[in-house]
Amino acid sequence: MSDNDTPETETDGGTGIVPPDDETPTWSERKERTEGLSRLTYEYFERARREDQDLRQESSYVERDVLGFPAWPHEMIRNLALTSFFVGMIVFLSATLPPEMMPPANSSSTPAVILPDWYLYWSFGLLKLGPLNPDLALLGGSKLMADRTYGVLANLVIVGAITIVPFLNKGAARRPVEQPFWAAVGVFGVTFAFTVSVLSVKNLVPMDSHLLFDLTFLLPFVAGFIAYAILKSMREGYMFTLNRRYYRLRPPK
Amino acid sequence: MSLEKKDEHDHKGWMEERELTVLEERYLTLLMWLDKRLRLVDYLELLEDLYYKVNMQMPKSHTEQYGLDNKFWYWYPLYALGSFSTIAYLVAAISGALLGFYYAPAAAGATGDPTVAFTSVTTIMQDLNFGYMLRSIHRWSAQVMTAAVFLHMLRVYFTGAYKEPRELNWIIGIVLISLTMVFGYSGYLLPWNQLSYWAGQIGVEMALSIPLAGEWTAQLLFGGFTLTQATLQRMYILHVFFLPFIVTGLIAVHIGIVWMQGIAEPH
Repeated sequence: MSDNDTPETETDGGTGIVPPDDETPTWSERKERTEGLSRLTYEYFERARREDQDLRQESSYVERDVLGFPAWPHEMIRNLALTSFFVGMIVFLSATLPPEMMPPANSSSTPAVILPDWYLYWSFGLLKLGPLNPDLALLGGSKLMADRTYGVLANLVIVGAITIVPFLNKGAARRPVEQPFWAAVGVFGVTFAFTVSVLSVKNLVPMDSHLLFDLTFLLPFVAGFIAYAILKSMREGYMFTLNRRYYRLRPPK
Repeated sequence: MSLEKKDEHDHKGWMEERELTVLEERYLTLLMWLDKRLRLVDYLELLEDLYYKVNMQMPKSHTEQYGLDNKFWYWYPLYALGSFSTIAYLVAAISGALLGFYYAPAAAGATGDPTVAFTSVTTIMQDLNFGYMLRSIHRWSAQVMTAAVFLHMLRVYFTGAYKEPRELNWIIGIVLISLTMVFGYSGYLLPWNQLSYWAGQIGVEMALSIPLAGEWTAQLLFGGFTLTQATLQRMYILHVFFLPFIVTGLIAVHIGIVWMQGIAEPH
């Protein structure tokens, strides 16, 4: 076979990494060929798309006019302004309130006050819940688990409780007035985070430690009940009429 | 058939028969060169999409839609907390990388004598030009990030923004806030001063008190049951290697999901 006989397959001296047309399956062919899970995925996507279209066609929903600011430059300039403001705030704080110098680590002298950073106070406070750890009569008055295990478990319980909130509280309600109970739960949580943080630094608080311990659990309930009462009355009050127009637009399910 | 030579594929001829400026010609040549190797055509659609996204009209904000501009401050400050924490994270990352040039996580013990780690922090703060400011910025951006993340969570809770299509993002957010605190904790230990040491002590005890897996956890995170060089080194690697990758990735996913789902309509 001489060079002249070679069919001219190259168009412009290309690298030839393009698959030949007649062997490349079209999308519908690919869809037909696939099996198992990928086939199921295709089928589901097709169904979902059809469902969307049906819903769109049969609904009386009128698309809102969503034209607003262009992303460039309006939004970008706004974002830059916000960013420089916030960065400036951080720089201002660091210039005025620099970190203090501490003595080097020494295992032989325990400092009077041992503290983590402030954002871990709540977790630190949960480690001090020893008095709540039940001692079981079955075990001869001894505790089921050590106090510190109990404290670590309390951390997990709280994080877990926060995690499952979206699966407990469903529905279209968004504002605290629309859902006084869940808002009250939130106020309870915030207050508890605060009081348990105070409990964690109890040797710095000028108060009887038993009273402090009781207040730690009492105050959150008080705050929660007050929040609930206030929101309930607001719901009946002027806020509701003020926002009636909004509720007409998007009635709570 | 694709095997036949077609005129349309004679790109050189096509270029010559058109009257192109030098700039256009150079551009086309470069484009063809790249296309032949990287199949840019396949990505053209993506680029086009990107172009329209960049020039997208932002949807009307809540204030615009309901004509609230005159009733409230235009930029609801509470809705900026998420981006505020991201900004603080970036500032912390940059200042942290600069601090990393001067910090050495070495020779940790707890005899009361300054260790290498402690001395390097002292050097940064006392001898290095702007070192005090640098550490201050790093520390404050970390504090601000944590505070903003906490407040962001409260905002999301009280406006019910975690509801139905957004449960996944709420869970990612909880993982992120936890990792932020681990970030803060591991950073708190690095100067190896008295507070670091005793905070580390509490950490080891917490790890040890986990049922069954306690000793294993303490070994993994703190490199032993007492605080040694291994502890400092592990905290350092956690702080500058593992957490930055994980947290940055999760933040990207978190923001990506917000982008896909849209901001929960504020009230």
